[in-house]
Amino acid sequence: MLKVPAQLQKKIESHGAVSYPYEGCGLLLGQRNDGDNVVVGLYPVENRWEVEAERRVRFQITPEDMLQAELAAMRQDLDIVGIFHSHPDDRPIASPRDLAWATWPGYSYLITEVRGGQPGASRSWQLRPDRSGFLEEDIEIQ
Amino acid sequence: MPTIRIPTPLRQYAGDQSAVSVEGHTAGDALDRLAQSYPELRQHLFENGKLRSFVNIYLNEEDIRYLDGPETEVKEDDTLMIIPSIAGGCLLEDDPWNVKRVNGASITRR
Repeated sequence: MLKVPAQLQKKIESHGAVSYPYEGCGLLLGQRNDGDNVVVGLYPVENRWEVEAERRVRFQITPEDMLQAELAAMRQDLDIVGIFHSHPDDRPIASPRDLAWATWPGYSYLITEVRGGQPGASRSWQLRPDRSGFLEEDIEIQ
Repeated sequence: MPTIRIPTPLRQYAGDQSAVSVEGHTAGDALDRLAQSYPELRQHLFENGKLRSFVNIYLNEEDIRYLDGPETEVKEDDTLMIIPSIAGGCLLEDDPWNVKRVNGASITRR
């Protein structure tokens, strides 16, 4: 399960809205607690997908940004527990691209739908341990 | 021995440790020994004997691609970090393979 404070969930939705029509992205900082990913902070990053026009349907977080996020998390005694990104004018469902480029089981992939610049539903996914697909997980907004 | 920091999701495959000290004179050697000690880690780090394309290794905060790659020498008090690059995106009609939802929740390759 992914646990997100309501105030941070709002920030994630706002980040998706201001990034529109492009995909917005960032890291979820927090702790892993009894199998749950508990979010206590955000580390928004720029969508570094190389071709600007394709940022409507693609996002990329570079290893350099990820390294800085890891170091920031360590300084706060936190971990990176997941990734958030938006799907402009598309459902918040993990796509074949999300699967093809997925990293590791255990990260929460929180996806927020943004229609016409307005944030909508968020859903969260985790890679299956055998890497064959994504499983949806519950989200608890606290 | 050099220390390898383990990213949060991989700790479940490494005895729940956030850092592991391993023998090894090069970055590649150290990672291989890590995977020998924790075999479940291997499939998440390597594919066909090479580091997965999204897996990046930093030696004391420097990307080993800009050093000597897996042959980069590591010393006693060095720290290696395993850093993923992350990408994804929306479902496009011309995506190269089909997917289907299973049990209303998962997405699997058909």
